[in-house]
This record gives sequence, C-alpha cells and structure tokens, in this order.
Amino acid sequence: MIARDRNWLLIFAVCVVLAVLYPLFADGYQLTVIRDALIFGLFAASLDFFWGRTGILCFGHAAFFGIGGYIMALVTLNDAIPFGSQLGILGAVTGAGFVAAIIGYFLFFGGIRGSYFTIVTLAMGVICQQAAVSWSSVTGGDSGLIGIPPIEFDIGGTHVDLSQDMPSYIFVAAIVAVVVLALWSISRGRWGTVLTAIQDNEVRAAALGHNAPLRLLVTFVLSAAIAGLAGALYVCMAGLVAPDLSGLLLSTEVIVWVAVGGRGTLLGPVLGAIAIQRAQQTISSFNPSLWPLLLGCVFVIIVFVLPDGILSIYARLKSLFKGRRRAL
Amino acid sequence: MDFLITTLLNALTLISILMLVGLGLAISFGLMNVTNLAHGEFVTVGAFAVYFVQSIGGSFWLGLAAAPIAGAVVGCILEFAIIRHLYSRPVSTVLATWGVSLILQQGLELIFGIGAKPVTPPIEGTLDLFFTVYPAYRLILIAIAMLTLLGVVLLISRTSFGLDIRTVIQNREMAESVGINTRRTYAIAFTFGAAIAGLAGGLVAPLAIVLPQMGVNYLANAFFVVIVGGVGSIGGLVAGSVFVGGLTSVLNYQISPSLAQAIVLLAAIVAVRLRPNGLFNGASR
Repeated sequence: MIARDRNWLLIFAVCVVLAVLYPLFADGYQLTVIRDALIFGLFAASLDFFWGRTGILCFGHAAFFGIGGYIMALVTLNDAIPFGSQLGILGAVTGAGFVAAIIGYFLFFGGIRGSYFTIVTLAMGVICQQAAVSWSSVTGGDSGLIGIPPIEFDIGGTHVDLSQDMPSYIFVAAIVAVVVLALWSISRGRWGTVLTAIQDNEVRAAALGHNAPLRLLVTFVLSAAIAGLAGALYVCMAGLVAPDLSGLLLSTEVIVWVAVGGRGTLLGPVLGAIAIQRAQQTISSFNPSLWPLLLGCVFVIIVFVLPDGILSIYARLKSLFKGRRRAL
Repeated sequence: MDFLITTLLNALTLISILMLVGLGLAISFGLMNVTNLAHGEFVTVGAFAVYFVQSIGGSFWLGLAAAPIAGAVVGCILEFAIIRHLYSRPVSTVLATWGVSLILQQGLELIFGIGAKPVTPPIEGTLDLFFTVYPAYRLILIAIAMLTLLGVVLLISRTSFGLDIRTVIQNREMAESVGINTRRTYAIAFTFGAAIAGLAGGLVAPLAIVLPQMGVNYLANAFFVVIVGGVGSIGGLVAGSVFVGGLTSVLNYQISPSLAQAIVLLAAIVAVRLRPNGLFNGASR
C-alpha cells in the first residue's frame, strides 16, 4: 500500500510539473484547449471518486455537470446578484449536491444497487436534458443561454479576472490539482477503506456497524458537488450553457474517460479526459462523423484489451521489468 | 366518449410497442443480468430494414418480415462476438454494449446518410369503430403485437425450449448439471429478444421518425418497463408496459412530449423506490 501511494504521488508530481511547464511551450489557443480539457478531467475525477470507490456506475453524471452549469449561468447573468462568480460557484456546488442527495436517498436507502442504479441514473440524465429543453423560460430551451461572463473576484485586495487565457489556465489547473489531491487523500484513508469493504460485501460491512447507505449517499453527494463545480467552471470559460451539457452523450463520454484512464486511480481519469479530447479534436478536424464510430470502438477495445486503463500500463511495464530482472 | 376511446387506443399502441421492446430486455437484463445498452439499436435496425426493403421496391409486409431477421442477425453477432465473453463482468458489458450502440448508429448513418427516412404504411385511411374513427394501420399494429406476445407465451410455457429457458433462469448451475447447454440457451434467448425488438422497430417505422438515433428513445422506456414491472414474468412485463405506456399517452395530451417523458421517468423512479421487486411481483427474487 505504501509503495503504491508513493507511485501515485510520483505520477501526480510529474503531472503538476508538466502543467507548470506547459505554458512555456504553448500559445494562447493551446492553453485554452488544455484548460477546457482539465475541466472535463475534473468532471471525470468526480465520477471516478464514486464509481471507482463503490463499484456502482452512475450513468447520468452529466446531470450534475449540467445543473452546476445552469445554476452558474443563471446567477452570473442576473445583474441584481452581487458577487456573482462566488455565489454562482457556491450555488452550483450545493445545487448539484442537493439533487444528488434527494436521488441518492431514494435509491441507496431503497436498496437499489448495481445495474438497477445504473439504469435509474441513466434516466436521471435523460430527465435533466428534457427538463432543460422544455423549461425554456428559464433555461433558454434548445438553444441554451449565452453571454455568461468570465469569473472575476477580489481576493486580499487583488482583483482576479479570468477573461485572459493565462490566469484562467492557472486557476483551473490549481483547482483540479487541489481537488484531485483531496479526493485521493479521502479515498485512501479510513473513508475509502470502509467504502471498499461495502463494495466487497455490504451485508458484512453493515454487520460490523457501518451505515452503508449513508456512506454511499455522502460519497455520491460529494462526487455530484464536484461535478457541479466542473460544470460551473466550464460554462464561464465557454460563455454558454446548453441542454447537451446534462445529456446522455456527455454522461457516456465521461465514463469512457474514466475507463480509459483507469477506474479507481483518480489521476488516470484526468489524463484519460485530456488524451481523448486531444484525439477527438484531431479526428474531428479530419472527419467529424468518424468520431462517434471510433469512440464506440474505443469502448469495446478498452473492455477487452485494457480493462484497468492507461495507468495500468505503468504497473504492467514495471512488473515486466521486475520479472526480467529476476529472470536474469 | 370519442376522446376516451382514442386515448385508450393510442395508449394501447404505445403499450404494444413497449411490450415487444421490453421483452428482449426482460430476457437479457432481467434474466441473464446483462445490461444491454445496444437493445435500442435492434429497434432501429428493424425500422431500417423496412425502409430498405421499401426503397428497393419491396412491399411493407416483406419489410416487416425482414425486420425481425435483421434484428436477430445483429443480436446473434453481438452475443457471439462480445456479450458471451462478459457474462461475469457486468460493468464491462455496459461499456461494450454502449460502444456497439454508437458503432451501429454511426454505421447506419454512414450507409444510409443523415436525415429521417420515409416509410409508408401498408394501409392508409381510418376504420370506423362504432364510437370513433381510428387509423387502420394502428389497429393492425396492436393486433400483430398481441399475437406475437401470445406466441411468445406459448413458446415459453408449452415447448421444450421454453422449459430449458425457464430452467436456466431459475438456476444456471443446476440446469448445466442436468445437461442443458446454458451457453446455447442464452445465445438463442438473446437472439430471440433481438428479433422481437426488430419486429417492434418494423411495426413502428411508419408512425415514427426513422433515424439512426431513434433507438435511445426506446431504450430508457424499455428499461423502466422491465424494472417497474418486475423481473421474471410476462405479467410483470405487461404491468410495466401499461404503467409507462399508459402514463405517457395520457400526459402527451396535456403537456409537451419532452416534459411528459421526464415526468414518466420520475414516476417510474418513485415506483421503483416503493416496489423494488416490481408492481406485479409480490415475492422477492
């Protein structure tokens, strides 16, 4: 366990160094591309915190991303509300967490687990998208809301304005690093251990005195709140929000990012999100209708070839070299 | 009176389709514990089969005969190439079948092009039903769906293959030890479910907008038919279809379709919370 912790921290440190060095070699456009990819990486990490730790797949995680995005948009677009950026983020996080708390309460305390949970959350994503389309007086319907201002706030006398590429990149990268590190320390500590016990055998974990539904619920709410945060950041950077952001396609894409990066590693999903989005841009610029086809193939290949994700390549190589050394 | 009967017949149309689509899911999801997210694409494939046959000059009825065959072929390939390797890995099945669903959607779009495909019904016009007039094709649709369901009930309850399926469902290990080839039984049952979904797609093609992406609409509803109704019986399937289909048709009169869809799914979630074993099943699985 200690060796694995050291490996994780090593990879994390390498990623932080790369993120710090990246602006030296990138122009403004490339910075915004990687910034948006990092936001989706944060979203992927939020799903992984729940899915990777509990083994229960949420198929409607984009619902929380979308709820966060819409709340942020509505708060910042309303001139009457002071401190729009801060209140918007706060509202996005608590709003997404609140919805997760209600749904999670119904499901976890109702004994819904496994594939039933997956299907119900799938419907939850569909419901959110339909609601965003049909509640057009608030959400702008199919076309969504545009003109969302960038984040700006005062901290310690300095005015922070994230309309420029560089500050927004630093802001997003710092948030992602802090949140991923925080999620990792939660999931490797006692909380994560209990979740693993529940995943292995819920009845036994309950017999040992752990309130399994409550633990699952709190984990789910935390995961949804971070997804809401990612949604709020995204709409401010993009300047618009649309029903797609809570839809089925984004829900499935985030699952691919986690699966490609490696479920349960928290860092892998962030890397997976960045890698896949780069690939998507390259392929889409070549032929846009090819991308869904390739995405589908990636799903199938991942399941058969890399069930543990790209981070497992590192572990595999390591065991390969160790095996070699022993053989010599 | 008119209004009531029209609503009732509209509901019956939707319920029949949901029952046919739900049957395949009841087999794969309910009984084999395979979460097949490509099930909606069997419906799409069936609808496209009718379109294809009509576009090369064939009649609707020929297309309708081709629809379940197309569904069965796709289902058989899917089971053979992917699902049979993943029976012990439920989460992997979810990922792989969703991938297949994307591949099928995009493949159909590449072959047939973007945009809705026209399918003409075999019979135009309405039928005078004493109380009200109603499109004749919809009545035929309801009749075919009911006959198909009856056939399935007879197949499961009267034939030796039906007995095999019921045995494998109740206890897979025990079925294997008494000499039933469970792998083969699963494969046939899965293909059979895909064929019925293909038939549903063919039946609905003249009424629906035939698009490569149309399957998703049926997928979520069909899952709820199975979950709400409860797993393991035709009765549950009927109960679930009546719940989802009936509620949708009634709501469609009052509010916009997207809001109706959202409300039906919400009601279904509440129903699942209150009766996790299904509306119809008293006993737990």
